[in-house]
Amino acid sequence: MIVTPKIFARLAAIVVLAVLLQLSFFSRVGLLHTSADILPIVVISLGLLGGSMSGAVTGFSIGLLVDCLLVAPLGGSSLVLLGIGYLAGLFRERFEVQSALLPPLLCMGLTLVAEIGFAVVQVMLGIDAPVSTLIVRDMLLKSIFAFFLAWPIYYGLRRLLRPALVEESKLTRRRQPTVLGT
Amino acid sequence: MYRKQVRRRRAVLALLVIGSFLLLTITYGQSSGGLQRGVSTVFSPLQGVADRALKPARDLVGWFDKTFEARGENSRLEDELIVARRKAVAGQEALQENAELRKLVKLNRGPALAESAYDPVAARVIARSPTVWHSTVTIDAGRGDGVRVDDPVISGDGLVGMIASAQGGSAQVTLITDHTSAVTAKVVPVGVQGVIKPEVGNPEDLVLDFIDSSKDVHRGQAVVTAGWCAQGLCSLFPPGLPIGEVTDASIIEQEASQQVHLRPYADIADLDLVQVLTGGSRGE
Repeated sequence: MIVTPKIFARLAAIVVLAVLLQLSFFSRVGLLHTSADILPIVVISLGLLGGSMSGAVTGFSIGLLVDCLLVAPLGGSSLVLLGIGYLAGLFRERFEVQSALLPPLLCMGLTLVAEIGFAVVQVMLGIDAPVSTLIVRDMLLKSIFAFFLAWPIYYGLRRLLRPALVEESKLTRRRQPTVLGT
Repeated sequence: MYRKQVRRRRAVLALLVIGSFLLLTITYGQSSGGLQRGVSTVFSPLQGVADRALKPARDLVGWFDKTFEARGENSRLEDELIVARRKAVAGQEALQENAELRKLVKLNRGPALAESAYDPVAARVIARSPTVWHSTVTIDAGRGDGVRVDDPVISGDGLVGMIASAQGGSAQVTLITDHTSAVTAKVVPVGVQGVIKPEVGNPEDLVLDFIDSSKDVHRGQAVVTAGWCAQGLCSLFPPGLPIGEVTDASIIEQEASQQVHLRPYADIADLDLVQVLTGGSRGE
């Protein structure tokens, strides 16, 4: 990703908007006794579009902002989200994202990894109450929701960040018509 | 050139990971720091606007979800209504009897009820935690409205939680379903006391722990805050606030683990308007 001041402003706006949407809308909408989590999807999408560094840095920023707003121990969400952002970026750097189904599938898988990561961090910090087995259902449902939400989020972000994407700009250059006979 | 780039990337990643661990180590177990308070203060107006703007969309999705669930809930509620009617009639009789007895022994209400020492402040929920590991909500009332840390928070149905952190115009509420929450409570009318802890991941189930196993607790009995006071220390919650209803009270579990399960009266998963009971003893 080519980060110009304009693109940086767009990325910052995406981070803030994603956090506000999550806390004010998605967390408060119950579907099948759980709620969708768009933050891992945004981080994974940015990792897939911009590479490992973009994924890791936006993951860290989103996690830090969420922890600040919820007055949770700082660093927990950042650690998990930067991890999945980095993994998504690494995937993009090593393999070609050709199939349209691949980003949603990756979002689903990595959201599950993120949910397990949140659980591990919480176990590390200590849990003062019994844990219900329903937590497994919650994790699975969140990753299924991620599959469906990844379509609009990934393709929306790709459209928004198109000028900064290396592959997209290459494609645009390639598409320029060749003028013959001059 | 490529190697240099890879090295730089690894350095940034290491820096971020170390930063996260450092932040966790420094801030864990502490109340909200300056950074968190500052960010919350800046973002609370934005959250308020987002909450109001997104309410119609939230209600629409909520309507579909509720309609889907309502069919199964209908028969259960009908059964509950029959039981509640019986209890209401019995309650009316008890109230009448109580008034007559008070007249007989010429008792006044005496010192004001504990609840009247509180000044309720109405607030709207503007944000909610996305993970089940932290069951917290943000409300649009803060220090400017008299809200302080440890103030009890209730909804129209019963106890919801307590204030964990307060800024100028917003505050964070730790819900009774958060793993750090613990509320001393008693089962009425038997009077068995215990501590209510949540079951992480299941907001519809609370556990009343450390109960006296010699007294029988039955399904359907109400659980309210105990509101104890001892050696100059008082519970953060006033006595008599409804919390929930016993849903599972098997004799084996009562005797073996000294605990019963209850369902909270308040719809913790769908909170919108709450009241903060300000100006209480705050445990002193």
